[in-house]
Amino acid sequence: MKISWPHMGSLEVVMSSVFEELHLDYILPPPNTQRTLELGARYGPEFACFPLKTTLGNFIEAIEGGADTLIMVAGRGPCRFGYYAETQRRILNDAGFEFQMVPLEFEPAKIPALVRKLQDLKQGHSWISLARAIKFALSKAFLVDRLEQQALHQRYLDKEKGATTAALKRCYKMVGEADSYAALKRVEEETFAMLRSVRRTEREKIKIGIVGEFYLVLEPFFNLQVEEQLGYLGAYVERSIYLTDWLRPSGENPVAGHHDRESEQAAMPYLTHFVGGEGIHSVGNTVLYQRHGFDGVVHLMPFTCMPETIAKSILPLVSRGLGIPVLSLVIDEMTGKAGVDTRLEAFTDLARFRRRAREKKITLALQPAF
Amino acid sequence: MKVGIPGGLLYFRYGKLWNSYLHALGAEVVESGETTRSILTSGVSKAESESCLPVKVFYGHVLALKDKVDALFVPRLVSVKRRTHTCPKMLGLPDMARAAAGEGLPVISPTIDFHSGLWSNYRAVYSMGRLFTSNPLRIINAGIKAWREHRLYLERLTLGLDHRGALEGQTDRLLCEGRELRVGVIGHHYNVYDTFTTMSLLDRLRSMGVDVVTADMVPEKLRERALKRLPKDIYWSYEREIAGAILACSRHRLVDGIIFMISFPCGPDSIIRVLCEQENRLMGNLPMITLVMDEHTGEGGFLTRIEAFVDMLRRRKERVGGMREAVMAV
Repeated sequence: MKISWPHMGSLEVVMSSVFEELHLDYILPPPNTQRTLELGARYGPEFACFPLKTTLGNFIEAIEGGADTLIMVAGRGPCRFGYYAETQRRILNDAGFEFQMVPLEFEPAKIPALVRKLQDLKQGHSWISLARAIKFALSKAFLVDRLEQQALHQRYLDKEKGATTAALKRCYKMVGEADSYAALKRVEEETFAMLRSVRRTEREKIKIGIVGEFYLVLEPFFNLQVEEQLGYLGAYVERSIYLTDWLRPSGENPVAGHHDRESEQAAMPYLTHFVGGEGIHSVGNTVLYQRHGFDGVVHLMPFTCMPETIAKSILPLVSRGLGIPVLSLVIDEMTGKAGVDTRLEAFTDLARFRRRAREKKITLALQPAF
Repeated sequence: MKVGIPGGLLYFRYGKLWNSYLHALGAEVVESGETTRSILTSGVSKAESESCLPVKVFYGHVLALKDKVDALFVPRLVSVKRRTHTCPKMLGLPDMARAAAGEGLPVISPTIDFHSGLWSNYRAVYSMGRLFTSNPLRIINAGIKAWREHRLYLERLTLGLDHRGALEGQTDRLLCEGRELRVGVIGHHYNVYDTFTTMSLLDRLRSMGVDVVTADMVPEKLRERALKRLPKDIYWSYEREIAGAILACSRHRLVDGIIFMISFPCGPDSIIRVLCEQENRLMGNLPMITLVMDEHTGEGGFLTRIEAFVDMLRRRKERVGGMREAVMAV
């Protein structure tokens, strides 16, 4: 049994750590490329949302690489994500691939089925060793998230463009190689020291927050390196979603530093009900960013994403009401990098001018709605 | 108090219910009526470009009403059946209506959610009634009356009247009265019954001598039974009806062909479409055409495809001859 799963940001660190720990066979799908996207867009339904297509592309490439068991998370919410596994299974079956799809559902009624599926996946290993492996993998992911956050905060100060990104890549590798809690502790100190030792310069600071749909926020290849670009353009960046925060069932977000309830309450005047996915948190986090003195918010959404479409139609109200510029980037397989970069550039300029004006106490015009 | 009911989206299902409830409470009800060219245009210019066509139409209806009324009535339907959801756009609809109409106009939006049991729904409806009258009996009577009329309306749809016919209580002009061909026109209520965005598809089919079967006319028992065979439950309430109707039609050969109406870019439908096409193929390939509509759909292209589909069905039927009898009379 060769197991594979779709890419999502640093998810590969978690998953491969679990399988390494248990000595199970797994195949890391090839890194996301233009081909992944083309495969996904060719087989995927025309106006299904963007992550469905990209993960479908990952699956096809994994099967080509020899995988025969595909893991996917499923569920039942108003968002389409819960039905991905079933749809992708049908599409891949139709296209003539041989594989087995294992949808993992984490709702109370489906626990017996989940236990059975995990029983098959762990191939004779004890439950305790599985739990240990997952716990260790999660502590790795938690470290990766904090490293990413550190990189987001300091990238705009780079003396040489790309130094932080290069250091971060080395950090990923070191975290991936850690094999015990003691080693992880050592790696933690080393990696943070490494990131902090990147040579810095003085630069005017603007603060930009990133909100949006979790897959697109977490996956740098498909969001066209928005975080990195913002850093190069001189922005201290914070994002509202980190992998371990997202995996945490309690709603607490230790990396991003707030509870889900807080952002839901912040969204109340604009969006009063949960709309599936991250819709309400996109609105709520925009409000929270404004309260924390950010100069602008970039909202990432895949084309046709239902919850984010609602958030997008409400964000202009937030923007006008609170006076924080919001740039919504709708991304699909047709989006060009140059177009996104130009818009980010204009946006950071706007945020910078607004910050200067605010510091000099000049009255600003109302926010234009983007 | 003048209360406006925008005539888009769920109006096509619950319009009668809302109208008669508000009416019985003593409110002056203003409806935005049928979709027109100007409603669509204003909606398209106001709504997000990524929204689906019915949401854009809905925005148009909201804008048409906003200067004529004191409040808008846009309920939030979270779930209409246990263990199912409506589309996320229905969940955010009141907030979107508020964003469309501007801050000044109040939006009355009781939350209907069957996940949290029946009691909270009664309470939501009752506390909405208190906005208009303080007489509890009047509210309860209004609720009962409205529910009766709603049941009658749904029954008429089941018998084969279209939305307008069922609203006005006609009993002639049935969609299905034993013409030579029978086609299933299946999709969301707001896609199938909106005469403007569908370019009067139902009337055109009628004039081509074709009987129409809508998802409402397929018995619920058959729909639910067809859905039971799926490996993963569909969790959207209205998609359950659509997928169930298509699968039942295909399985029991209730119709000669299916027209699946989708609006661009409907989220749940894009997923259901994969499922229905595959299951239909496995069950012996009933002819099925998927029509995707948006605000740019041209009448010519639309009509040509319908005509070609109907011609194809007619020829197919002649070739097969009388070999297969109609399985069921609706």
